[in-house]
Amino acid sequence: MESPVLNVHEELIARCRVGDREAHYKLYKLYSKAMFNVGYRITGNEDDAADVLQEAFISAFRSLESYRGDSAFGAWLKRIVVNKAINALNKRKYDPIPDDDRWDVAEEEAPVEYGDELTVERVKRAISQLPDGYRSVLSLYLLEGYDHQEIAEIMSITESTSKSQLNRAKAKLRESLESMGVTIKN
Amino acid sequence: MKIEDFVKQNRSAFDDKEPSDKIWKNVEASVGLQRGSWWNSLTIWRAAAVVFMVLSVYLFVQRGGAKPQRGSEIALKEFKDVEAFYVEQISEKVEMIDEFQKNEGLNGFTQDFQQLEAMYMVLKEEMHARPSQKVKDALVLNLLVRIDLLNQQLHVLEKGYKNHSDKEKKEANI
Repeated sequence: MESPVLNVHEELIARCRVGDREAHYKLYKLYSKAMFNVGYRITGNEDDAADVLQEAFISAFRSLESYRGDSAFGAWLKRIVVNKAINALNKRKYDPIPDDDRWDVAEEEAPVEYGDELTVERVKRAISQLPDGYRSVLSLYLLEGYDHQEIAEIMSITESTSKSQLNRAKAKLRESLESMGVTIKN
Repeated sequence: MKIEDFVKQNRSAFDDKEPSDKIWKNVEASVGLQRGSWWNSLTIWRAAAVVFMVLSVYLFVQRGGAKPQRGSEIALKEFKDVEAFYVEQISEKVEMIDEFQKNEGLNGFTQDFQQLEAMYMVLKEEMHARPSQKVKDALVLNLLVRIDLLNQQLHVLEKGYKNHSDKEKKEANI
């Protein structure tokens, strides 16, 4: 059964469309922090994340009429942020994935069971140490909730490359976490 | 614990960075949400048009009984040159605006513009009947106010058109 997308900000969006400054500010306040973090995880630095956030909100506010309400507003906005962040990364000529890894198809590893030493701080640090390409795929998959088909579309890669990069990113993450003293149970 | 499960359970803790307040100020300025400057306010220009119309009527009434003066023929000739120049500019801008708003009926802008145009015709008759520097100045001012109104309206329409094309581009990107 198809259910209409629940648009919790319908009224705010309608007010924005007629140029209500207060409504724009409320929408910005609701989403800016989460979107800043999305941009930060992909670009890997706060300056780029700030530029991405600014550009994304400007684009979103200017294109509010093209937002048809067929997806949640947050998902629509997040997609704009992600696209801008990937563009910023591409402009920067980001850390390429090491050649050996690029041509070597990664096998899917058995799920890793981490010990109790796993903390948010350690995971964040390990993610930030990943090369740009791995960090983007891992963030999009693990934290932003995109599937491989969506990641492939966002990053202009194939689905199998997305899967393979995710596996490699997870393997690198595991190495980093282990070096921080996180134990592996299996 | 699997990394996927750990992230899911602690998802909100991963969004710990705060954006700077400067970002909102830049967004606000770029989207044109700041209280507009008086120069860009259509209301101010409409008010200016009304003030001008009142002044024109006053001038017309005051000079109603005056006789044509010698030397005023020069003012009439000068005026004809100035008029040709401005009327050409006005026609171009009106054409551009008509292109933009073909499907719209009368709005506040059109009404103001038509009133100014009507006032112009009255002043022009006065100029022919009793040419003078004052009537000439009023006619030129009328032309200038109309050009400003047209520029303002073009700016508003262009902004709307630009936003619309940006939207289309954005849609294509999303």
